[in-house]
Amino acid sequence: MSGNYYARRKFAVMKGLLEYMGLEPGRLQFSWISSAESTKFVEVANTVAEEVKALGPAKHFIKEKAEVA
Amino acid sequence: MLEYVDKIRDIARRLLSENKVDVVIGFRQGSVPMMSEPAVISRPEDVDELYWDYNCGINLTNYLTKRPDRIGIVAKGCDSRNIVTHMVENQIKREQLYIIGAPCHGMIDRSRILAALGDQEPTKVVVNDSEIVVTGPGLERKFDRKEYLQNNCATCIHRNPVIYDELLAAPVEEQKLTNRYADVEKIEAMSPDDKWAFFDKMLAPCIRCYACRNACPLCYCPTCFVDEARPQWVGKSIDPTDVRTFHFLRAYHCAGRCTDCGACERACPVNIPVRLLTKKLNKDVEDLYGFEPGMVPDVRPPLDVYRPDDPGGFIK
Amino acid sequence: MTSVIIAKSKLNDFLASLKSGYQVLGPIHQGDMIAFGPVNKVEDLALPYSNTRLSIKSVFFPQSERMFGYSLDKEDADAGIIKETPKEYPNRVVFGLRPCDAKAVTLVDVNMDNPQYQDPWWVKRRETTTLIGLGCEHPCSTCFCTSMGSGPFDETGLDVLLTELPDAYLAKSLTPKGEQLLKQAKGTDAASPAGEKTAAEIKTKAEQALPKLETAKLKDKNMMELFNARFWERVQFACINCGACTFLCPTCWCFDIQDEVSKKAGDRIRNWDSCMFPLFTLHGTGHNPRDHKVQRVRQRFMHKLKYYIDKYGDGPACVGCGRCVQACPVNIDIRNVITLMNEYQTSAGTKA
Repeated sequence: MSGNYYARRKFAVMKGLLEYMGLEPGRLQFSWISSAESTKFVEVANTVAEEVKALGPAKHFIKEKAEVA
Repeated sequence: MLEYVDKIRDIARRLLSENKVDVVIGFRQGSVPMMSEPAVISRPEDVDELYWDYNCGINLTNYLTKRPDRIGIVAKGCDSRNIVTHMVENQIKREQLYIIGAPCHGMIDRSRILAALGDQEPTKVVVNDSEIVVTGPGLERKFDRKEYLQNNCATCIHRNPVIYDELLAAPVEEQKLTNRYADVEKIEAMSPDDKWAFFDKMLAPCIRCYACRNACPLCYCPTCFVDEARPQWVGKSIDPTDVRTFHFLRAYHCAGRCTDCGACERACPVNIPVRLLTKKLNKDVEDLYGFEPGMVPDVRPPLDVYRPDDPGGFIK
Repeated sequence: MTSVIIAKSKLNDFLASLKSGYQVLGPIHQGDMIAFGPVNKVEDLALPYSNTRLSIKSVFFPQSERMFGYSLDKEDADAGIIKETPKEYPNRVVFGLRPCDAKAVTLVDVNMDNPQYQDPWWVKRRETTTLIGLGCEHPCSTCFCTSMGSGPFDETGLDVLLTELPDAYLAKSLTPKGEQLLKQAKGTDAASPAGEKTAAEIKTKAEQALPKLETAKLKDKNMMELFNARFWERVQFACINCGACTFLCPTCWCFDIQDEVSKKAGDRIRNWDSCMFPLFTLHGTGHNPRDHKVQRVRQRFMHKLKYYIDKYGDGPACVGCGRCVQACPVNIDIRNVITLMNEYQTSAGTKA
């Protein structure tokens, strides 16, 4: 239980920094879903998938081949 | 701040002769203008090597990590806050230290002065309360000292040491600033694409020398994540994604711990304003958890604790 | 070897004519710094300038460079076969580098191009690059090139040396490559004896202005005694073990090789490495022969100022450009270390 609270602080700060560096809002999402909340899981998974689809393919923090000489 | 020199030497001599400490950590006068060299002194007869001026921007707490001996250390406001952080993180014990507090007037920004001089080279730089007087072959220029402080010093609100055994002078007046985060807010207001482009440009000169990381007293991990081989978290080339990943994670590891001492930015050999990343974290940690790192020794850092009513609107 | 004059008013003609046969690189502004980059016209050049922040070495030895590639696709007939990455070697000219950098390139040649080993990419880039040096009329206060066997008008490693005169550059060809370049270039006029005399005076004056560091005793020091000298403790204290000195140094040549695999293909990439990093000497067993900072700091100076001299009978492997003096975040000054080493009393002999 307390792990979720610790993680909330770490994620809040991390999300802030990633979006400050140019990651599109919506690309990184967090949710608390207990093992008993199957309907919430479906809902969240669908919403996240839709929102990320709307943003298009990820172009940041993606490295296929090193851009070097 | 030159008047500190004699006092630092006197205190160091006394501490070493009376066997109160094993070593004193301070600065030696630089061999080039606007630089100084961190130094450790262990014999009373060597204390005259110690020096102090407007170029002592390196954070001496970096030299304390896991030292076993008794240490006298000269500490500005920011260094003292990193000493507190070191104590909180079990890197040094208070009873090992004799802290010689240096109320600070702000360090001068060498890279900005050199940039302003262009091709002209300073061979002598004298700083007084209001001016920085730069001379060299065919060169004599004056800079307003307050305009050419290191960026972190210009927005510093803790110039006086927060922990010390002795002060070198009466505390200085702390700056009253309405907004210390204007530079961060400017970036926050950009569109995601502009933000990405801004940092691409900012990080382009990076040569992965790790001076920013190594100048930082917070970076004391036995093996840094960039040096891990199994698994390898980040590539080692100057590929822009790897460079950005390094800078993102370096900054993130400082979240809730950074005192904005500016050593990272000062150390960078290619003038990257790396503090724009850590400063964003400082701002968020202040806004979200009302925390300023390194102020009190018996409070756990903000990412090591929680409150049930922490802001959590971002969690669905 | 011939000398010609390039009037400043004709420098654009000169550069334009170079462009027909070469890619032209030179010192250009890059943010607050000066770096080597493409030059199209005089206005691109960051003149006057003292020196570039990073040395010339990346022109021959990029910080990160793809060496080989391979496919891991089982459908691919060549899967698992490592192939050299194709590279282009256009004719290039570097206009306006400082003589110390060219001297440094010749010191690195000792490692990259010797009878036993030839680094193919270094060698080919060296062959296809012509170096037009610009003598230093006003060396920096951190320069000590004349003490390191180089100088503000050192011709070593250069194809052409330029001396700046009030209205022109005196260009002296030093190699067949340089001779050829000047012959084909436009914007040149015959050099006058007066111009050559002025150039000689500028050179003498610049050389005399430089400080003299003593290095003569380094070669006769007992290596082990120097290795075990107590002054290393003092030298190393401030060091934060970053790679600023080694990456900015024109004579540091060490690299690390990494494989990077993505999906069904991989690349073998080499990156500059630094003896300042603990990882540099870390063994697969976990043992690290240079586990402590003092060992790494000592290695950097001993390599440049003692091992190189002993091994090659030449050197030191420093040209006195002063970049590390300027850029070290904690002001570790190689000039002081040179003096400490040169003055340290050891019993005679280089052998342990």
